[in-house]
Amino acid sequence: MLPAAGEPAAGDSWGMLACLCAVLWHLPAVPALNRTGDPGPGPSIQKTYDLTRYLEHQLRSLAGTYLNYLGPPFNEPDFNPPRLGAETLPRATVNLEVWRSLNDRLRLTQNYEAYSHLLCYLRGLNRQAATAELRRSLAHFCTSLQGLLGSIAGVMAALGYPLPQPLPGTEPTWTPGPAHSDFLQKMDDFWLLKELQTWLWRSAKDFNRLKKKMQPPAAAVTLHLEAHGF
Amino acid sequence: MSQEDPAGENYRTTVKRNRVLHWSWESKLPLECAAHFIRMRSMVDDARIPKPGFWSNWSSWEEADAQNSLGHDPLFVFPKDKLVEEGSNVTICYVSRIHQDNISCYLEGVQIYGERLDRSVSAFELKNVSFIRKKGTNVFCKVDQGGALGGIVLFVSKVLEEPKDFSCETQDLKTLTCTWDPGSDTGLSKQPSQSYTLFESFSGKKTLCKHRNWCNWQVAQDSQETYNFTLVAENYLRKRSVSILFNLTQRVHPMTPYNLFPKNVRATNATMTWKVHSIGNNSTLLCRLELLAEGKVIQQHNVSIKVNGEYLLSELEPDTEYVARVRCAYTNHFWKWSELISQKFNTAEAAPSEAPDVWRNMKMVSGHPTVSLFWKPLSKVHANGKILFYNVIVENLDKPSRLEVLSIPAPARSTELTLDQCSYQIHVTAHNNVGPSPASVIVISGDPGNEEVESGRVNGTEDGFSVSWKPQSGDATGYVVEWCDGPQDLPCVLQWKNLGPNTTSTVISSGAFRPGVRYNFRIYEISAKRMAHLLEKKAGYLEELAPSDNPQVVMSNLTSHSFTLSWKDYSTESQPGFIQGYHVYLKPKAGEQCPPAFEKTVLPEDSVCCKHTIDNPEQKTFVVENLQPESIYEFFVTPYTSVGEGPLDAFTKITTPDEYSHILIRIILPMIFCVLIVMIICYLKRQWLKEKCYPDIPDPYKSSVLSLIKSKENPHLTIMNVNDCVPDAIEVINKPEGSKIQFLGTRKSLTETEFTKPACIYLLPTEKNYSGPGPCICFENFTYNQAASDFASCGHFPVTPQAPPHQLGPLTSPENLLKALEQNYMNSLGEIPAGEANLNYVSQLASPTSGDKDSLPTNPPEPALCSEYKMQMAIPLGLASAPPSENSSLSSATLLGQGEHYR
Repeated sequence: MLPAAGEPAAGDSWGMLACLCAVLWHLPAVPALNRTGDPGPGPSIQKTYDLTRYLEHQLRSLAGTYLNYLGPPFNEPDFNPPRLGAETLPRATVNLEVWRSLNDRLRLTQNYEAYSHLLCYLRGLNRQAATAELRRSLAHFCTSLQGLLGSIAGVMAALGYPLPQPLPGTEPTWTPGPAHSDFLQKMDDFWLLKELQTWLWRSAKDFNRLKKKMQPPAAAVTLHLEAHGF
Repeated sequence: MSQEDPAGENYRTTVKRNRVLHWSWESKLPLECAAHFIRMRSMVDDARIPKPGFWSNWSSWEEADAQNSLGHDPLFVFPKDKLVEEGSNVTICYVSRIHQDNISCYLEGVQIYGERLDRSVSAFELKNVSFIRKKGTNVFCKVDQGGALGGIVLFVSKVLEEPKDFSCETQDLKTLTCTWDPGSDTGLSKQPSQSYTLFESFSGKKTLCKHRNWCNWQVAQDSQETYNFTLVAENYLRKRSVSILFNLTQRVHPMTPYNLFPKNVRATNATMTWKVHSIGNNSTLLCRLELLAEGKVIQQHNVSIKVNGEYLLSELEPDTEYVARVRCAYTNHFWKWSELISQKFNTAEAAPSEAPDVWRNMKMVSGHPTVSLFWKPLSKVHANGKILFYNVIVENLDKPSRLEVLSIPAPARSTELTLDQCSYQIHVTAHNNVGPSPASVIVISGDPGNEEVESGRVNGTEDGFSVSWKPQSGDATGYVVEWCDGPQDLPCVLQWKNLGPNTTSTVISSGAFRPGVRYNFRIYEISAKRMAHLLEKKAGYLEELAPSDNPQVVMSNLTSHSFTLSWKDYSTESQPGFIQGYHVYLKPKAGEQCPPAFEKTVLPEDSVCCKHTIDNPEQKTFVVENLQPESIYEFFVTPYTSVGEGPLDAFTKITTPDEYSHILIRIILPMIFCVLIVMIICYLKRQWLKEKCYPDIPDPYKSSVLSLIKSKENPHLTIMNVNDCVPDAIEVINKPEGSKIQFLGTRKSLTETEFTKPACIYLLPTEKNYSGPGPCICFENFTYNQAASDFASCGHFPVTPQAPPHQLGPLTSPENLLKALEQNYMNSLGEIPAGEANLNYVSQLASPTSGDKDSLPTNPPEPALCSEYKMQMAIPLGLASAPPSENSSLSSATLLGQGEHYR
């Protein structure tokens, strides 16, 4: 393990120093300290968390623009309509106890499924947008959301969880039916953005919780091992 | 709108057996808002049946009630997603299932108020609706605090406009391009933008345009010449159309020419070539070639071509940038010019076309005439290219010599030549890449000649200086006015202006001219020999200003009645205006009148003072006269120009002296001087004076004392001659009783005389008869004095044998001495009774070494062989207090002090 350490002669301080230097020199090569090969899910959880925060920020600007595009009352700050016709949207709100009791796999699965649906709806929104600038903003946000989805999938893979498979024929669509009025369509758009915001907020909490849970073991253990070896 | 308002319409159609008729009708009030009822009747409308026809009976009412088919939502708003044009009136309503009154409706967030139709239905009429956004106008109703909400989106479309400026043209007789102005877009999320269709009536063809403002139409091969196009604009709500009829060959708009290049570009001409796209077969195009310089069209040429165009542009300026541009039109029928194609090019350089404008400035440097040559850069028009250098050729006119050639690289604008006293002809040429310019010739005489000419003044105006002169000789070939652009105290930037031979005036203007600066103009006449002679000098100001500073005034010759002021150093040349004179201000003391030549004036600060005006600028001294002695005056001198006088500075204060003081000074000073001289002489000749005036051995005949006594007391007093002196005889002088001398005074005299050299009269027979010690009497008197050496030879004094020799020893101490003196004195008093004669005889023991005071305490006294008697002559106190000699006074003072101590 420490080939350069040798057997320093007693009282030979130069030898001790050389030995110490050799140990320090070879420290990065010691497998116990070198974690780059297997970082675990920690960094990807952190990245996912960061991404959710970034998307939260991005959505704030996008939602402002889009709700103005819909016009009042949808862009009014205190507008809180009943959830009419947007039942297919995945709900982010959940009982706190239920949320606490979720295991990691379920937590991640819910996130993944929610964003899969939301991304699909969002793409439908983009197709209907009348202005080029709005389409550009929505496309950019969709790309970011796609990245978040990939990031969640990465975390799940790192933790060894399988990705949820969509049932065939249940691909969510965003094509209003003939009975779906334009006003209800606007309400759906409103709720889509609102749910997206709530989901991002929830995901930030989810990944923060996961991050704390997945804290890597303290480096002191490995140092102890080294001291023992020395 | 109310239930009682029936609406009726007529519908005309052809009926056929077994054919079901459909009639569509739209209610103003949405069907969902209220139950609608309909009935109908019919009438035959046929030409074969004579009119008037008869209406059938009404059918029974049919009810259309859409409310029954509504869902179970608590609140509905109708009509759903209606599309209307801007400016329409729209009626909306809500249908509530909850039968509540607190339902509010909003149009774009603003509450609207309507009419209640029944318990659960209210209608709202929106008048003159306007376009807000493509996503539609939101109208919604909600139950207050109930949470139920319903709404609709009303799509308001802009009104479709008729296409404007519809026209078609062809570039190649193969394709027609029709263009138009589409107006506003009527697209909504509910309605696509309006579509455009092009329809040609002769051929019956139509095409749907892909673009909203232009469309291409392929020309048929069957050589159709006339076209009638109809453009139809259409949306969900409206259809608009516009038509044009034209002949194809009259709508030819050629394509932009290409490959426009200059060819064979020279200094004054260039050939332009270009190409055009052919139109049909053998078509001719008219092309217009334009030449632009500095953005302006300077030439325009029309050229008819088929494919290749070429034109020779002439009358161009050398070394100039031009822009050539070409556009073409169809010759058969002019419709439109093609787009322009431009090409920039530069003409070639040519030799400068004009000689440089040269001038010179002559000065003497170290005794040699030095010529500074200046020239102006050639204008672009005359330079014909970039000037690279200037050649200066100097030719001696007086003696044949080699030409001196100087090449000065541009952009230098001057050079300096050191010449001798000969005359020189100087040629200056400007050179560019192509060649030299014509030479500018100037002749310089070695002898600068008398250049003293009259100086004049010139007035400046807003335009500059209007300089005029008088021609001197008839053969002038021109005139030159030269000046410096800057102020006098700055280095001169020589400027000049060349003028023709018939000119006698000009206006010199320059942006550098400033008000308050003196500009000097020199006018030269150029002779036929190209030589310049100074004709006149002029000086002027663009605008005269008041002097900015006052002269430094020196005051001199101050007397009790006048003083002189002078300001010789004040330069009138460098002032901001022509100095016309000076104002001398004088402030006399309060209440005093102004001196003559002064007049009373009021200063800006309201103080009154006297003012004298000097109207000669060269008079720089002034004598202020008629002043009062011993008075304070304040003065101040300021120059003035035509604009005004200088700034009001502080006054200088002076005080006139006393009237007689100068006289006193004239007397006292010489006197002091004389006294000093006398004192110095006296000091230097003090020995001589001493001998003359107060010798150690005075001449009794010259003694003033003698004369004094003689005149006052005894006219018969005579000087005792030694020869007359009879031994043992004493001349006794009577003294009046009143002049008795105090004992102290006597004693003082006594002590004083102890160490002085007593003036003794030898009462002994003459020395030659004297052969040994004998008695002698020494009379001390101020008038008698004798050297100590003489005294020492007095020998014995037999008259006073009472002083034994042994008593002399203790006399070395002052105590003993005083005792002895006292004793001797008393003895002498005892011997000579006071009543017999008023003579005081002082018995004194004269020390043999009394002449040497220093040796008094140390040298033991030698036994005296005789006593010396000094006669103390009684004299008035005033005379007796005559100062003793310096040596003796010191010693006697010491002794006196001790004597008093013992008293």
